[in-house]
Amino acid sequence: MARPRHSGDEFARPIRRLLVGLLLLALLALFALWRIDSPRVERMRAEVVDRVLPSFDWALAPVTGLVTMASNFQSYAHLHEQNQQLRRELQQMRAWREAALQLEQENAKLLDLNNVRLDPRLTYITGVVMADSGSPFRQSVLVNVGARDGVLDGWPAMDGIGLVGRISGVGQATSRVLLLTDTSSRIPVTIQPSGQRAILAGDNTTYPPIDFLENPDLVRPGDRVVSSGDGGMFPADLLVGQVTMGADGRLRIRLAADYERLEFLRVLRSHQAETVDEAGRLIVPEPREVFGPPAPAPESLGLTGAAADAGAESPDG
Amino acid sequence: MANPRPTALWMGRAGFAALSLLLIFIGLLPLDMQPPRWAGPDLLLALVLLWTLRRPRLAPVWLVAAVMLLADFLFQRPPGLMAALTVIGTEMLRRRQSRLRAGGFATEWGAASLAVAGILAASQLALLITVVPAPPPMLVASQALATVLAYPLLAFAARWLLGIERSPTDIRRRTAA
Repeated sequence: MARPRHSGDEFARPIRRLLVGLLLLALLALFALWRIDSPRVERMRAEVVDRVLPSFDWALAPVTGLVTMASNFQSYAHLHEQNQQLRRELQQMRAWREAALQLEQENAKLLDLNNVRLDPRLTYITGVVMADSGSPFRQSVLVNVGARDGVLDGWPAMDGIGLVGRISGVGQATSRVLLLTDTSSRIPVTIQPSGQRAILAGDNTTYPPIDFLENPDLVRPGDRVVSSGDGGMFPADLLVGQVTMGADGRLRIRLAADYERLEFLRVLRSHQAETVDEAGRLIVPEPREVFGPPAPAPESLGLTGAAADAGAESPDG
Repeated sequence: MANPRPTALWMGRAGFAALSLLLIFIGLLPLDMQPPRWAGPDLLLALVLLWTLRRPRLAPVWLVAAVMLLADFLFQRPPGLMAALTVIGTEMLRRRQSRLRAGGFATEWGAASLAVAGILAASQLALLITVVPAPPPMLVASQALATVLAYPLLAFAARWLLGIERSPTDIRRRTAA
C-alpha cells in the first residue's frame, strides 16, 4: 500500500527513527539501571515524587475532602440508627474503660515491682496522607513528613490503633509508607496466646496471609497478632490485627488499622538498626587449659589469648 | 506536512499534557487504600493510544515518553519499562495510522485493544524475565480488559467534550497525495 509521502520525509524519517531508537534505549537503560542498582534509582524516584507531589498538594487535599464529604453525605440517612448503635457501644466501652484503667494500674505496679524500664525512645511523628500509589498493583501511601523531619527508611507507621506499614523511600518533604498489604511487604509477627512466630506476607488482598508458621494447630481465628521485633526491624508488640480463616482455608490476618480511611499516620521513631560496617572476622575460641607438658612459649600463648579475646568481643561492641 | 498554525499545535500538545497530568492526579487521590479485587482501567494508557490514533501530531513521541515516565515514577512502577513499551506500541500504531484511518471505528478499537494487550503482556513478560516481582496475572488481565472496554467511552467523551474525532485532515492529505 502506497503511503502518502512528503518530499521532506525521506530525510526526516530515518532521523526520526534514530531519535526514537535512542529514546527507547534511554528508557530501557533506566529500567536496567533500576534492576541492577535499585536503591539509587529509588532515591531518584523519591526526588521526583518530592518535586512533583507538593505542587499537586493544593488540589489533592480539597478534592479528597470533597469526595469524602460526598460519600459521608450518603450515610446521613442512617444517622439515627447509627446514633443508637454508637450509644450502645459507648456503654460497653465505659465498662471496658474501667477495666482498662484497673489493668493499667496493675500493669504499672507490676512493671515497677519488676524494675522494668520501657524504652523511652519510642516517640512518633504524625503525618497526613497525601496520595496513594495510584496503581492497583502497589499498596502504598505518601505522607507529608520526610527527611527534614528526621524520618528514616524502615520506620514503622501506625494509625491510631494498629500497624499500617513501614517507611520505604524518603524524600525531603514526603515519604512513602509501604502498606502491609503490598506484595513486597514481609513483617515478622508473633501470634499472641501461643507465642508462635510467623511472617505476615502481603499479597495485594485485604486480608494478608500468614507464612512460615511452625504449628498451625496452635493458632485459631481470633488470636491477636503483634509485631515480634525479630531481626530488629520493628519494635516488638505493635498491634497488627487478628487471625481469621480465609475462604481458601489459609490463616489470614484481619488488620487492626482502618485501611478504608487512612488520613493521619504515626511514624514511630524506631531504633537505629545495627549496621555491619566492617568485614567479618574469625571468632577464635578461648584458649583452653592445657593439660600435659607445658607449652613451649607461655608468653606467646598469653598474647594470642589476649588477641582472641579482643577479636571475640569487638563485634559485639 | 500540513501544519498551518504552530500555536494551535502547541496548544493542542499542552492540552494533551494537561489531560495526562489530570489523569495521573486522579489516580493519586488517596480515596481507597483497600487492595482492589479487580483492577480498573488504565485511563492514561487509553488516552495516549486514543491521541496517537486520532491526533498523532498532538501526542509526539517525546511527550508520550515523558508522560509515561512520570507515571512510572509516581505510580511505583519499574521506571522506564512501561514508558518504553508504550513508545514502542504508539510508534507501531503511528506507522499503520494511515491504514487504520481507512477502516471504521471498529478497526481503531481493535488496534488499540491489541496495543493495550501487547503492552501489558510485554511488561509482565519483561518483569518475569528480569525476575522482578510481577503483579498477579489475573489483576493485569482484568486491567487490560477494563482498559479495552474504557476505550470507546473515552473516545466518546473526547469526541463530545473536546471535539477529538477521527480527523479529516489526514484523509484530505491522503487523497491529495
